[in-house]
Amino acid sequence: MCIFYLFAFLFGLTAEQCSSELIEDSSQSFMEKMHTGKTSFIYFGNHVNPTIKLFMEQLEMSADALEDYGISVVKVNCSKDSIENYCTGEKLMTKAYLFRGSEVLRSFDIDTVFDVNAIVSHVLFSVLFNEVRYVHTPAELLRVESAAKQNTDVVVGHIPVLGLPEHRALMESAFVYGTKYQFVQTTGSLVLKHMGVVDASSSQARLWFLHCKGVSSQSDPCPSIPMRKPLKTIHIHTFLQLMEAPLVTEAEVDPSEVDVVHIHLGVPVLFLFSQTQTQHLDRATAQTLALQLRGEVGVVLISRESPNVKTPLKYNAAYRLPQEDVKYFTLNSAEEVMKLFKEELLQEHKIEDEEGDEEQWPDLDILDDEVSESVYRDRDHMPDLESVAELTSDTFQTTVTQNDITVVLFYLKWDAVCMAFIQSYIEVADALEGMSGVELAAVDCGELTDICSDQNVTSFPTVMIYRPMAPAQPYRGMLGTTSLHKFILLSLVSSPSHLSSSAEVTSFLEGDLYSKHVYLSAVRVLGLFSSTQDTGVTSFEEAARLLRGETILGLFANKEAEQWVEGLSVNLPALLVSRGPGVPHEVYSIPSSSPTEQVLLIKRVELDHFPELTVENLPWYLDLGKPLLLLFIGKEDGTESTKSLAEIKRPLSSGQLDSFLPCWIHLGRTPVGRSVLETYLGFVPPLPALVISKLRTGGEVFLFPPERPLMAKNILQWIHDVENGQEQPAGLIPDGKWGPPVPFFDFLAIMDQEAPTYATQRGPKMKNGGREGNREQKPNQKQTPHSSPNPQAPRQHSEL
Amino acid sequence: MSVIQLLSRLLCVLSLATSGAALHGRNNTVSHEYCVLGAGPAGLQMGYFLSRSQRDYIVLERNTGPGSFFNIYPRHRKLISINKIYTGRRNKEFNLRHDWNSLLSDRPDLLFQRISREFYPNADDFPRYLSMFEKELGLKVKYGADIGKIIASELNGNRGYTLSDQNGVNYQCRVLLVSTGLWVPQQVDFLGSDLVEGYESIPTDPEEFKEQAVLILGKGNSAFETAQSILGRASRIHLYSPSPVRLAWQTHYVGDLRAVNNELLDTYQLKSLDGLVEGRLEDIAIVRRGKDSGKRRTSAVGKEPLYLTLTELLDDQNGKNISEVTGQNLPGYHTDNFSLRQPYDRVIRCLGFRFNFSIFDGSARPPQSSGARGRLPGVTAWYEGRGTPNMFVLGTAAHSRDYRSSAGGFVHGFRYTVRAVHKILEQRYHNIAWAATTLPISQLQSWILKRVNEASGPYQMFAVLGDIILLRGSYCEYLEEFPLQALPQLSALSGRPLSDHGLLVLVMQYGLNRTDTLGPGRAESEWTKAWRSNFLHPVLYYYNTLPTEKDRRQRPVGWPLPRPGAIHHMVEDFLTEWDQPISHSQPLRRFLEHCLQTDLRAFYAESCFLLSLTSRTPPLFCRQGYLRKQGIVGNSHLWKHAREAGLMADHQGDIPESVPENLKHAAAAVVSTMNFDL
Repeated sequence: MCIFYLFAFLFGLTAEQCSSELIEDSSQSFMEKMHTGKTSFIYFGNHVNPTIKLFMEQLEMSADALEDYGISVVKVNCSKDSIENYCTGEKLMTKAYLFRGSEVLRSFDIDTVFDVNAIVSHVLFSVLFNEVRYVHTPAELLRVESAAKQNTDVVVGHIPVLGLPEHRALMESAFVYGTKYQFVQTTGSLVLKHMGVVDASSSQARLWFLHCKGVSSQSDPCPSIPMRKPLKTIHIHTFLQLMEAPLVTEAEVDPSEVDVVHIHLGVPVLFLFSQTQTQHLDRATAQTLALQLRGEVGVVLISRESPNVKTPLKYNAAYRLPQEDVKYFTLNSAEEVMKLFKEELLQEHKIEDEEGDEEQWPDLDILDDEVSESVYRDRDHMPDLESVAELTSDTFQTTVTQNDITVVLFYLKWDAVCMAFIQSYIEVADALEGMSGVELAAVDCGELTDICSDQNVTSFPTVMIYRPMAPAQPYRGMLGTTSLHKFILLSLVSSPSHLSSSAEVTSFLEGDLYSKHVYLSAVRVLGLFSSTQDTGVTSFEEAARLLRGETILGLFANKEAEQWVEGLSVNLPALLVSRGPGVPHEVYSIPSSSPTEQVLLIKRVELDHFPELTVENLPWYLDLGKPLLLLFIGKEDGTESTKSLAEIKRPLSSGQLDSFLPCWIHLGRTPVGRSVLETYLGFVPPLPALVISKLRTGGEVFLFPPERPLMAKNILQWIHDVENGQEQPAGLIPDGKWGPPVPFFDFLAIMDQEAPTYATQRGPKMKNGGREGNREQKPNQKQTPHSSPNPQAPRQHSEL
Repeated sequence: MSVIQLLSRLLCVLSLATSGAALHGRNNTVSHEYCVLGAGPAGLQMGYFLSRSQRDYIVLERNTGPGSFFNIYPRHRKLISINKIYTGRRNKEFNLRHDWNSLLSDRPDLLFQRISREFYPNADDFPRYLSMFEKELGLKVKYGADIGKIIASELNGNRGYTLSDQNGVNYQCRVLLVSTGLWVPQQVDFLGSDLVEGYESIPTDPEEFKEQAVLILGKGNSAFETAQSILGRASRIHLYSPSPVRLAWQTHYVGDLRAVNNELLDTYQLKSLDGLVEGRLEDIAIVRRGKDSGKRRTSAVGKEPLYLTLTELLDDQNGKNISEVTGQNLPGYHTDNFSLRQPYDRVIRCLGFRFNFSIFDGSARPPQSSGARGRLPGVTAWYEGRGTPNMFVLGTAAHSRDYRSSAGGFVHGFRYTVRAVHKILEQRYHNIAWAATTLPISQLQSWILKRVNEASGPYQMFAVLGDIILLRGSYCEYLEEFPLQALPQLSALSGRPLSDHGLLVLVMQYGLNRTDTLGPGRAESEWTKAWRSNFLHPVLYYYNTLPTEKDRRQRPVGWPLPRPGAIHHMVEDFLTEWDQPISHSQPLRRFLEHCLQTDLRAFYAESCFLLSLTSRTPPLFCRQGYLRKQGIVGNSHLWKHAREAGLMADHQGDIPESVPENLKHAAAAVVSTMNFDL
């Protein structure tokens, strides 16, 4: 026989019946209860040590609290009666279980449910699992929001530490209001930032009310109101009542007779009087004010029309603080009212804010820019510019004309971005050291400002390529070691290379010509023209010059060129793209166009159709503006990865994926891809993972169901479903603005405080003349010589 | 018919011939678009800009060479404008901050240091420099044309000016640029002022002052310069003027007494028989005693001792001047210890100079300035004479705009105002807008820092010329050295329209100056207290709309500009190098972020990769750099720093190391609920 100590159970029992007395119960009745499907929180123990004793006390207390929610708290003494599965094994003593009927909903470490608040909050969270959404990222929150729009309002609680009284308060509120509002719980600082909290490091719990029900369209955001009081059940209750109260109450009696919910909730009320003539305007003002004061002050609009309103006409507003009488005043502007409330009447909050501010200021001296900070941390190590020639006004012209290629970096010493890049630049210079015909040089534009302005450099850092007898060419690629190194090596190849025979064309396309450059760029682009007289040839040559260093370009202007497009649906002039031996060539016709248009065309056809996205190439592909069909591949090159790649590749040629950019990220080579995936979904699913990211259109992210095999057929079906709106997005890419990351350090405000008149505009009466006259000597008073034998003027001598 | 035609043609030819001949006759007339009056530093500076923009101009000069003022002045031949050749820097723009004599040109070698290596150069070197400047740049200067009369005239419906020289040649000018400088010695009318010698004519040989007691009227640089030269010969030197000495190193105004001239302060304070006295000039009289003059008629004029007295003591009871000066008419008779009771051998007037208004006909005469005791012509904020359209005043004569506050009256200051005026001319008469550099917003911060660290114009013309940044959303236009008081008229004067994104103004200015210049607490090093900086430091003003003329007039006392929407002071720097990441760059970046309401932090390409894929509008730096294929990649060494600082995420593990303890708790809770879900 087991003995159960049942402290409480049934919902609806009165307090007297359910005092926390020890109730003995039989195994029989326990079993029955299990079958009724009641929820119970049960601890199985067999002996008592000091830790367990403490837990027992807390458990006993929680019985009282949980009883209100129909949850029984039970302790089973295993030393007296052993229950199968629970009274044996390692988990005995350290676990507590939540049952619904005979089914275990969840198990808890007793470390997690360490006290009454933790027990109540965790138990309620488990019970309310379907009602309270747990979100980790802003994307998930946005998903909840968009589901709730026009439907229900959302209550978001940020609980930095679970199991504390704030958590319990939120859960208890969720239990009561769970059917009315969508409750959301979050712990991460990501969401905190999203909600506009600047100091995300504070461990304060917060709560917001999102007015989603009233939004007029799906695209509107839900207006969010923060609760400004500590997270306690009573405050949450009050706050939710306030949120339910109408934004503006209209009344036709004097303020002292107005009865609104705010007065009962102990919240100040603002009364505004509306005139018949300005009714609409008054209503709008009231609305604006109410929106700004929502949750802190109630707003009532009183119509002057009513004979019941006897307030003197000289007042147009009034307020009433809790437990105080109505005070009348005259308002000139809405800002004035805001100021009155924010700075005087609700001053408690202001003081709290100020304390918060003071905590932030010491952080002002910490660099929050990753580039600045990393360069600053390196300040002890001056970059070693040995392999880079420092140019001066005297050496500049000679240097840039005496090498085949002179690469010049224009930089500013105090600019962190320049100093970060100069490290890469030195790496390139070291790698190219000793290569004949190539010289890397640098100009410090903080010193040699004249060279930089002569070269029209207005942006830093700038890299320019100089060749004798040719205009300077700006380097437009990524400011990194590999990109620049590759660019310089490719710049050594003449562009375009003029091909004179079909044999040379083959050699060019198959990579035999410039074979040593294959590892730099496998892609060859060939311009085919029927003759050198073709007008497009000069344009192409100019385009090739502009693309020197970026693309290996060939030019075949010959009557034999025709045979290279034979059988293809393209006429001359044409572009032939080769992506390496064995890959079929692609052909595009060249419209007669300017060199810059041809550059764009060449850059476009050069792009891969199923690229591996890397940090260095992403911008070229994002330019296409298409939604991404993006496969994430794990670090370990498994057969599964290879297979998935092949499966996506299959429908590629048929054009079924044309509205997408099919691409992939290798998490081994591009580790940041993991963060991309995690931000999209809030977690990292098993790899390989396929997502659609509608970066430019709507921002939804869809995840290919991990349980479905990654087969071409399934993928196409899934894309179809996504397109038809039959798939739920798994995430949302936020469209947030990147505002200032820290609050503004306002010198004007400090001046106004410390030297009140220093920064204020002069009144209209004051003249600005006499700026210098004021300091001059005032004329002496006229005095007669007899009455004043002591002359005034020399008296001015400071010694006398 | 044909005869008549022929006749009329002949008439035409004849009239042409007469007008051609008139050029050499007595009543001849020459027309120029621009006439520059005076080939001093300002005139030549303007000549250079007009020549560079290929305008029809002439510089008229009455003397045979440029800068003839400097052939006479300063009388003791030492220029007090600094010629600092060694600055430790190669930045030519920066070096102009410490070169007070050179004019601006695009020739890097056309600097004053080619003429003189002296820190305080000899005055003879300056006309030599100007002459070199004029010749090497081939400026059109007509010497020996002494303009005696200027009248306003109508030219094609516009107001123009006609200038007549001593030979009767008339110059018709669409635009007149007056750079005549200040030539007329300032005088104060008092009884006995005829007994006073002027600075312009005193002997410069100290021996002439041997054993003499000298009273100098004035306490400016010319007074002290004179005193300093005779310090070793004169028996006693007293300086008398209304206001106490203002020391340039205290007021930051180069026109106040410079330390190079202030030896007399030593001899005064060390009680070596020299002294300073304050009093009104209009109240004094310089007299000889009647009975003395009777006895020693024979001695030469000037050897008679001169007494300083007060006008009121010379009046008899009926208020009429007495004829004979007796002891009773001297202050010492009434106050036995009166400071200036002893007689003087010489009284010298060193009161500075005034603008020559006399050559202007009534219709063409600019009004007297309200400040500077009316010695200067009154001009608008863009240096056009008040009430004299199409006539601009340049150089020292234009100092009324910043009298006793900035450097507009001196070569190192007005060379920049002349450049600014030229830009205004180009816009007004040729529709060429003020030159502007277009910058993407991500480059704005480094561009501001570049200007702050090298620009010489705003540095010399502090609180008068400032850089204007017109914000245009993702880019901005950067205008250099605009006259700040003309800000309300910015669009009209510069030809650059405003957008609704607002504007920034970069000004260099001195601070409140409320502390002892050499005392403790004179320098501020905490950037959060930058607005209390005393020394010259950069200040940025942000306006979301252009201030109006009324705003400008009612600006806070002592401010160059009206109260802005937001202000940023960059803390003064001992080395004038505003380039430090924590004290200068980051606060500036945060100010710009506030004005532009956008995040201006820089990100490595990897961060931009993440942000570009996970945010529909990545930060500006990524949009203007990385997404335009110009991302800043960095290297593992730098990334490590950024990761250690917690600014860059580490993508290796599932849970970043930096996650605080409480988040792990949360993560555990999520995992268990998800298990339950499945």
